Amino acid sequence: MTMTTDVRQALTARGLTKVYGQGDAAVHALRGVEVGFATGAFTAIMGPSGSGKSTLMHCLAGLDTVSAGEIHVGDVEITKLNDKQLTLLRRERIGFVFQAFNLLPTLTAEQNIRLPLEIAGRQADQVLFDRVIETVGLRERLGHRPTQLSGGQQQRVAVARALISKPQVIFADEPTGNLDSRSGAEVLSFLRRSVRELGQTIVMVTHDPVAASYADRVIFLRDGLLVTELHQPTAQTVLDTLLKLEA
Amino acid sequence: MFKTTLAGLLAHKLRLLLTSLAITLGVGFIAGTFVLTDTIDAGFAQKFTADAQKISVAVLPNGDDADRRQEPILTTGDLAKVRGVKGVADAQGIVQGTAPLIGKNGKVAGSRATSGISILKGTLNRTAITEGAAPAAATEAVLDKDTAKTRQFTVGDTITVLDSKQVKHQFTLVGLFDVGVNQQLSFTGAVGFTTDTALRMTGAKGFREIDVRGGDGVSPEDLRASVAAALGSGYTVKTGTQLADDLASANNMDTEFIRMGLLLFGLIAMLVAALVIYNTFNILVAQRAREMALLRCIGATKKQIFGSILLESVVVGVLSSVLGLLIGLGLGAAALAVLGAVDAPIPTGTGVSLSSRTIVVGLLIGIIVTVAAALLPARAATRVAPIAALRSQVEESTFRAGVLRTVFGALFLLAGTGVTVLGVAQDPGQDALLIVMAGGCVFFLGVLIVAPMIVKPLGAFVGWLPRRLFGVPGKLAVDNSRRNPKRAATTTVALTIGVTLMSLISVITTTTRATVSEQLNEQFPVDYMIGTQQRDSTIPRAVAGELRSRPEFGSVITVRETEARIKGQSVNIGAFTVDPLFKVTPVKGSMKDFGPGTAAVTSWTAKELGVTVGDTVKAAGRDYRVVALLSDQSTPVYGVNLTERDFDAAFPRVMDKQILIKVKDGVAADTSRRIVEAVTDPYPTVLVESARETRGAFDEALDMITMIITGLLGLAVLISLLGIANTLSLSVHERTRESALLRALGLTRPQLRRMLSIEALVLGLIGALVGVALGVGFGWAATQTMVDDVIFRAPVLQILGFVALSGVAGVVAALLPARRAAKASIVGSLASS
Ligand SMILES: Nc1ncnc2c1ncn2[C@@H]1O[C@H](COP(=O)(O)OP(=O)(O)OP(=O)(O)O)[C@@H](O)[C@H]1O
Ligand SMILES: [Mg+2]
Repeated sequence: MTMTTDVRQALTARGLTKVYGQGDAAVHALRGVEVGFATGAFTAIMGPSGSGKSTLMHCLAGLDTVSAGEIHVGDVEITKLNDKQLTLLRRERIGFVFQAFNLLPTLTAEQNIRLPLEIAGRQADQVLFDRVIETVGLRERLGHRPTQLSGGQQQRVAVARALISKPQVIFADEPTGNLDSRSGAEVLSFLRRSVRELGQTIVMVTHDPVAASYADRVIFLRDGLLVTELHQPTAQTVLDTLLKLEA
Repeated sequence: MFKTTLAGLLAHKLRLLLTSLAITLGVGFIAGTFVLTDTIDAGFAQKFTADAQKISVAVLPNGDDADRRQEPILTTGDLAKVRGVKGVADAQGIVQGTAPLIGKNGKVAGSRATSGISILKGTLNRTAITEGAAPAAATEAVLDKDTAKTRQFTVGDTITVLDSKQVKHQFTLVGLFDVGVNQQLSFTGAVGFTTDTALRMTGAKGFREIDVRGGDGVSPEDLRASVAAALGSGYTVKTGTQLADDLASANNMDTEFIRMGLLLFGLIAMLVAALVIYNTFNILVAQRAREMALLRCIGATKKQIFGSILLESVVVGVLSSVLGLLIGLGLGAAALAVLGAVDAPIPTGTGVSLSSRTIVVGLLIGIIVTVAAALLPARAATRVAPIAALRSQVEESTFRAGVLRTVFGALFLLAGTGVTVLGVAQDPGQDALLIVMAGGCVFFLGVLIVAPMIVKPLGAFVGWLPRRLFGVPGKLAVDNSRRNPKRAATTTVALTIGVTLMSLISVITTTTRATVSEQLNEQFPVDYMIGTQQRDSTIPRAVAGELRSRPEFGSVITVRETEARIKGQSVNIGAFTVDPLFKVTPVKGSMKDFGPGTAAVTSWTAKELGVTVGDTVKAAGRDYRVVALLSDQSTPVYGVNLTERDFDAAFPRVMDKQILIKVKDGVAADTSRRIVEAVTDPYPTVLVESARETRGAFDEALDMITMIITGLLGLAVLISLLGIANTLSLSVHERTRESALLRALGLTRPQLRRMLSIEALVLGLIGALVGVALGVGFGWAATQTMVDDVIFRAPVLQILGFVALSGVAGVVAALLPARRAAKASIVGSLASS
C-alpha cells in the first residue's frame, strides 16, 4: 500500500504502534499500522475481537496516546499535541458516535445536538442544522430527552450531533451494536447519505458484515496489523474475508 | 457475602475515608470534650488532694442559713477554742474579703475590687508563693502574679491598698503568688497579707475557714471528732481528705456545665454526620442497584442484601469511631495546651486522661449513629428487584412530589409557623422562647420533608448567574445540581443546619446589642458615666455638686438606688434627676403625672409585684401611686422609680450610685475628659468611663460569645462540607461516562473541573440560603421573646459573609472530586459501565 501525503486524505497514520502495560504484561494492541482515509469516504474497520479496532480508532481520534508512529488529521500531526491542543482539535475537527451512552440525560435532543457547537462557542449553521434534522427525521423529537427516545432515535441524534459541527472526520465505534436490524439500517443509511450528500468523512468500527457493506471500503485488522482491505464491499464478500482471517 | 462487602469497601478507600471522616469528626469532638473535662476534673482532684495533705481538719461555718445577707463566718473565739483542743499542733483562720489595690494611675485597679486574703504561716499555707517570700510583718504584702504583671508591680515596690473604710495603706511588696485554680481570685486579682493584717484591711469579722494541723500520731478522724466536740453545733468539721473530696466535686459540677455545653455542639455535629452517612449510603445503594440485582438473581436473599449493607455501615462506624477517639485525645490535649498557655485558672499539669467512659460513649455514639443512618438505605436496597440486573440503561432518577410528602410537609410547616407565632404573641419570657424554639424545630422538620421539592426551583434561582457567566460548564453544572432533588436536598440540608444556627446566633447577638446599647443610647445620650468598683461603695454627693458647677456640662444626672421591701419582696428602688434630655417613654400611663407621691415602675418589677397604673406601692412607710409602667431599658433605675425629693426623704443616707454626664456641644473631648478626671481624682474608688469605652467593652464581650459559638458550629459546617465532597465524588463516579463523552466532544480539563465546582457552588448556596432564611426568621422570632421593645437588627454583612463562605467552601469541597474526574482517561471511562 502506498502512503503519500495526499491532500485528498482526511486522515493518515504511519507506523502506528500501541503497547499497553510493560514487561511481561505488555500487550501489543497495534504493531505498526499504516493507513489513510480519503476525504468524503465511508470506511469500515473490521477484524476479530481483540484485533485492535477500538484502539486504532481511539488513537486516530486523539482520545488516546500512541506508543510510536504519527497521525495526521488534515495537515495537523496530532501525535505531537498536548491534551489541551487535542481537546481543541476534537472540538473543531472531529465528531463521535459511540456504541451506547452518547447523549447527556439532562439535555433535550436538540440541546444534545447543539452541545459541541456550544462547547466550542460557535454559532450553528441554521441551514445545515435544518438539513441535518430533516435528514435524520427527528424534527418532532427535538424537545424530548434521551430517556424518551428509542435506541435507534438516540443513535440518530448522536449522528446529527456529530454532523452539525462539520468535522473533518466522524468516528463511529459500533454505532449499531445495540440496535435491532431495522433501527441499525436506519442509522447506517443515514451515515451513508451524509457521506454522499454532505461530503462527510466517516470511519466506523463494526463487527457486523451487513453494517460494513454500507461503507465504500473495509479495512481488516488482525493482531494489531492491517492485513487486507475491500472496496465497494457487499455483506457476502466481507463475511468471506472475515472467515478467511479467522481461519 | 461478608467477603464481597469487605472487598467492596477496600476497593473504594477514598470514599470510605470521606464517609468515615464525618463520623470521626463528630466522635472526635465528643471524645475531646470528655478528655478535656475529665483531665480538668482529675487535675482538680489531684490539686485538692495535695493540698489536703497539709491539713488534718478543716472547720467551716454552717452555711444553710437561707436568708443570710452576709457570708457566715468563724470568730476569733472559735479559733481560740480549736487551738485549745488536745492534739492540735497548729490552727489558723483563713480570711477573704476585698482590699482594693490602687493602680499606678492613682485609681483602684480593675473594674472589680481586688480580693484581700490571708497567707497562712508554716505548713498550713496552701497558697503557692512563686517569687519572693510570704508576708511576715504587718507592713508586708504579696500580690498574685497576673495582677502584678498587668499593673506593673515588681517585688520590692511599695503598693497602696484601700481598707474597708476607703483609707489608704502602704505595703512593701515582698513576693508574688499563684492563685492556682481559684476562679474568684483569678477574676478579681488578689493581694495577700498576714492573717491579722488581712482581718484589719478587709474589715472581715472573722474567718471563712479554720485549718488545723494535728500533732504527731494524732489521726485526722480522732482530731475531727474532738474539734467537733469542742465547738458544738453550728459548724461543719471535716478531715482534710473530706474537704478535698468536697472541693473536687464542687468543681466537677462546674466542669459538668462546660461538658454539657460542648456536648450540645457535638450532638449537632453528629446529627449532620448522620445526614451525610444517610446520603452516602443512599447513593451507594442506588449505584449498586445492578450489582445487588445480580446478587439477587444468583440467589442472595433480601436478608443477606440488608445484612451486607448494614455490615458495611458497622465497619465504617467502628473505623471512624476509633479514629474519632484518637482525634478526641489530640483535641483534648490541644485544648489543654492552649488553656495552659493562656494561664487559665485550671490545673493543666496532669497527663491527659482517657477514661473508659470516654471510650464507651465515643464508640457507641459513632457506631449507633452510623448504623442507624444506614438503616433506611439498607431497606431500600432490599427492594431492588432481581430483574433490574437485566436492564441496560441506568434509569435517571425521577422525583415526583408525592401526595403524602406534600401533605405532611405542609402540615409541619404550618404547625411550626403556628407554634412560633403563638410564642411571639406571648409576653416576653422564657416560656415564650421555649415555644418559639419548639416551633422552630417543627418548622425545620417541615423543611426537611419539602426540601426535595424546593431544591429544584432554588437551584434555578441560585444558578441563574453561574448559568450566564460560565458558558457550557455553567449550564451543565446547574442542570446537574438539580438532577437528583432528593440527593441534593439531603446534601444541602446538612449544611443548612450549621448555617441556620450561625445566622440565628448572629441575629440574636446583633439584636441584643442594638436593643441594649442603641436604645439606651438614644434615650440617654451620655458622654461619661461615673461609677464605682464595688457594689456597695457609693459616690460622695460632692462629686455631682462639683460637676454641676462646671459650665462645660449640659446635664449631670445622678442615679441613686437601694433596696426596699415592698409587698414582702426585696425590690430595687431609686431615683434619677429628671432632665429634658432624657425622654422616658412609658409603656403604659404617662410620665406627665410623675411627681411627688408617685412612682414609675419598670414592667418586670410591676409584674413581680402585681401592680399596674393606678395601684399604689408602699415603701419605707409611705404610699406611692403608680402613674406609669416603663420598659426595662428606658430608665437608669431598674425597679421602682421615685422623684428625687421623695427618694431623699425616704432614704436620706443613700449616696449616688452613678452619675451620667452629657457634655455641651462644642466642648472638646479632651477638655471635658480632663475636667471629669480632675473632679474625680481625689476619690480613688470613683471610676470614670466614657460611654464609648463602655459600649466597646460590651460589644467585645458579645463578639467573643458570637465567635466561640460560631467556631463550635463550624464543626457541623465542616462535616456538611465533607458531605458535599462525598456526594459530589459519588456523583462524579456515577457520571464517569458522561464526563468522558463531554471530554471527547471537546470540553477541556479545566472546563470539566469548573463544571463540578459550579455544581458544588450551587449546592452550597442553596444550603446557605435556606439556612440564612431560617436563621433570620427564627432569630427574629426568638428576639421577640426577649423583651417588650426589641430593636430588630439583622447583621447583613455577616449573613452575606455566611452565604459567600458556604459557596466558597462548596467549591473547596469540590476540588478533590473535580481533580479526579478531570484526570480520568477518556478511553478508560468510556469503556466503564
Ligand atoms: N487499557 C488496556 N490495557 C491493556 N490492554 C488493553 C487495553 N485496551 C485494550 N487492550 C488490549 O489490546 C488489544 C486490542 O483491544 P481493542 O479493544 O482495540 O480490540 P477490539 O478489536 O476493539 O476488540 P472488540 O472487537 O472485542 O471490541 C486486546 O488484546 C486488548 O486486550
Ligand atoms: Mg472494540
